[in-house]
Amino acid sequence: MKTYFKTFYHWIDERVQLEDLVQFLGKKYVPIHRHSIWYYFGGVSLFLFIIQVVTGILLLLYYKSGEELAFESIQFIMSKVQFGWLIRSIHSWTANLFILTAMIHMFSVYFEKSYRKPREITWLTGMLMFFLALGFGFSGYLLPWNELAFFATKVGTDIAGVVPVFGKPIMVFLRGGQEVTGATLSRFFGFHVAVLPGIFTVLLGIHLVLIQRQGMSEPLAREEALAGREKTMPFFPNFLLRDLLLWLIVLNLLAILAVFFPWELGKKADAFASAPAGIKPEWYFLFMFQTLKYIPGKLWILDGEIFGILLFSAGGLLWTLVPFWDRKSNRGEQNKVITYVGLFVIFYIIVLTILGWTA
Amino acid sequence: MSRIIVILLTLVMFNRLSAADDQCLKCHETIGDNPSALFKHDIHFKRGISCADCHGGNPHLEDMEKAMDKKAGFEGVPKGDDISRVCAGCHSNPEQMKKYGSSLPANQLQNLLSSVHGKLSVTGKEHVAQCITCHGAHGIVSVKDLRSPVHPLNIVKTCTKCHANAMFMRTYNPSLPVDQLDKYRTSVHGKRNAKGDSKVAECASCHGSHNILSAKDVKSTVYPLNIPSTCAKCHSSSEYMKGFNIPTDQYEKFSKSVHGVALLQKDDMGAPACNSCHGNHGAAPPGVESISKVCGTCHAINADLFSSSPHKKAFDQRNLPECETCHSNHDIIAATNRLLGVTPEAVCSKCHSEQLSPRGYVVAKEMRLLVDSLESSEGIAKLLIEEAEQKGMEVTEAKFKLRDVHQARLQSRTMVHSFNEQQFRETIEKGLKTAAIVQTEGEFAIREYKFRRIGLGIASVVITILAISLYLFIKRIERRQRTGM
Repeated sequence: MKTYFKTFYHWIDERVQLEDLVQFLGKKYVPIHRHSIWYYFGGVSLFLFIIQVVTGILLLLYYKSGEELAFESIQFIMSKVQFGWLIRSIHSWTANLFILTAMIHMFSVYFEKSYRKPREITWLTGMLMFFLALGFGFSGYLLPWNELAFFATKVGTDIAGVVPVFGKPIMVFLRGGQEVTGATLSRFFGFHVAVLPGIFTVLLGIHLVLIQRQGMSEPLAREEALAGREKTMPFFPNFLLRDLLLWLIVLNLLAILAVFFPWELGKKADAFASAPAGIKPEWYFLFMFQTLKYIPGKLWILDGEIFGILLFSAGGLLWTLVPFWDRKSNRGEQNKVITYVGLFVIFYIIVLTILGWTA
Repeated sequence: MSRIIVILLTLVMFNRLSAADDQCLKCHETIGDNPSALFKHDIHFKRGISCADCHGGNPHLEDMEKAMDKKAGFEGVPKGDDISRVCAGCHSNPEQMKKYGSSLPANQLQNLLSSVHGKLSVTGKEHVAQCITCHGAHGIVSVKDLRSPVHPLNIVKTCTKCHANAMFMRTYNPSLPVDQLDKYRTSVHGKRNAKGDSKVAECASCHGSHNILSAKDVKSTVYPLNIPSTCAKCHSSSEYMKGFNIPTDQYEKFSKSVHGVALLQKDDMGAPACNSCHGNHGAAPPGVESISKVCGTCHAINADLFSSSPHKKAFDQRNLPECETCHSNHDIIAATNRLLGVTPEAVCSKCHSEQLSPRGYVVAKEMRLLVDSLESSEGIAKLLIEEAEQKGMEVTEAKFKLRDVHQARLQSRTMVHSFNEQQFRETIEKGLKTAAIVQTEGEFAIREYKFRRIGLGIASVVITILAISLYLFIKRIERRQRTGM
């Protein structure tokens, strides 16, 4: 068996110089410190993305886009297709866990100030992927064409339409018309299975190459204290096997969630029905939705809703561009303001999400 | 408006004018015109109300020119809506009415204006009915007076002056029938009314008088939901109905019946009210022959099946009312399985006994067994689907099929009226077959639920073993790396 494997390896190596890559991986080390645990969330996010791709492709075998077919095809997947229920539930649960782990990964990078030079591009690609993940969530939510999804999309695109100048055209572009209809479903399906995955894959490629090229970032304090005496572990096989161990645990967790809490399908969307009471967006949009509710109708000369949207857009932009304005971290100095801002953002998101959830 | 005020002032100033002093009446009597002749019998004349009280002018002046001078407040013949306003000058004033010793309510004009007659107008200048349209002008007598056009024995004629006139009615409401009088004359009410019975219902008894509303108006006394209580005003009063020799418990029975509950409690406008079976203007108890036709207007298939069944002949021979014999009339209860079969509460056993009618007895017994088995199968299937749904399984399609089972059971209730065992069996078997499919799907969903949990258990064990092995493997690698092996 070993001989066959070696022959195969040799055959490949002759053609693509695999040895160079193995040598590279063998020399790659991952720092060990008390914050090392956060390194794993990037890997878990990657694993969950792979699950999404696999389960998404499997769902594509039976899913039919269209006002008259989408809901029925999901119903068919859930009841008739062998293990269809499992694939659909895992896809839905993974979507949520993916955003959660990506969020944890983003905050850990933020607090470690790992975005500082030379990793600005890694941070930027990561942030863009995070926004795309939200886009995946928003577009995928509509695809079953059920009542909740229909009205959540209506509310979501309505909010986008409020933005001055660009809002209305964006809303019409997203909806494929003035209202949420079958045209919106077709568009969202296209975004979800073609446009977003295409861009995401390119960004993911850049992100992973940069990580491999630049190695794992180390916390500032540690860099200073342990210059030249740092503790490390080989990336291959130690870190990769630990990643694999965590992936197995996550896989089991997903199976438990899918079996004990199968993702509900609800009622088919009806454009003429009234919106169900207490309609809310997905949890990761809830803090923004709740904030918009608290903002008064009019703030100075601005409409309250427009003010809120502009505020979140400016906040998101500042957050994304943090490597370029956090000069202190770039110089290798501690920047407590950044930490406090991050802590406030986490506190704000948690509190507003709880308020939104219980409202 | 100023004209009305002048008339009102005149009314107040010259009330209780004696006939001898009334120059208007004197002069008009001399001419020998109809109004003055009629007015001598008018209730208003008897109470001392003069011509000038309605027409204005000065009744004390002999000079016609001066008496009928507009400066003296002469109004002449009021036109259009002013007619009712002139009447209302007194009739809407409780104080004024009290002076004349009248106990009439003072809200007639208010009621008239909110009624269908007070709202409709063709010209836009005046409304369709004024006080005089029904009560007349100069010969007005008490409603209790047989000469009054609104006396119970005359009112039908009064109303149909317009309502039986197709040309006239077309201007207001072309879709409103104009055959009410013809129908009424065929009704029990109409026949007795024609014979001089003033206690029976006439137009105003059901529609009201001044406050008549369209039958489509929810406040109307003849709006479908209000009809039972309107009829019950007389028909549930044992005191009022004394002498008519008919029961007075119809409303009580109806309100508890399947029709009454639907109409009065669930506001189901599709449910029948009294008039649906008895007719409205032609109200009469349906004859034995026509009962199935009356019920068949809604229960068409049941009536058809019954008419072509062997029971039709048997019922006709025995002069039994068709539907009523099994279902009763006012107190019809929901048709459940217990009506069928040979148990003491089943209606079949009223005629079919094991000894006297063995064939019918066997068929009734068999039909009951079949329908019971379908009901029980439907119940089991429903429980299984509910259980599967509670466990989070997707059973929408099975739920749709369950509706088909229920539909088959409802169809079987209709099919009973064919009294044909074969036809009935076919309907039941269709339902039983679907129920069996639903049961299988329900059981499969529950099995699948268990399979998922067992599958998860096995997968978890495998993953846990893999994870532990991987952990041990990592530890071994790290140990080797530390020892440099």
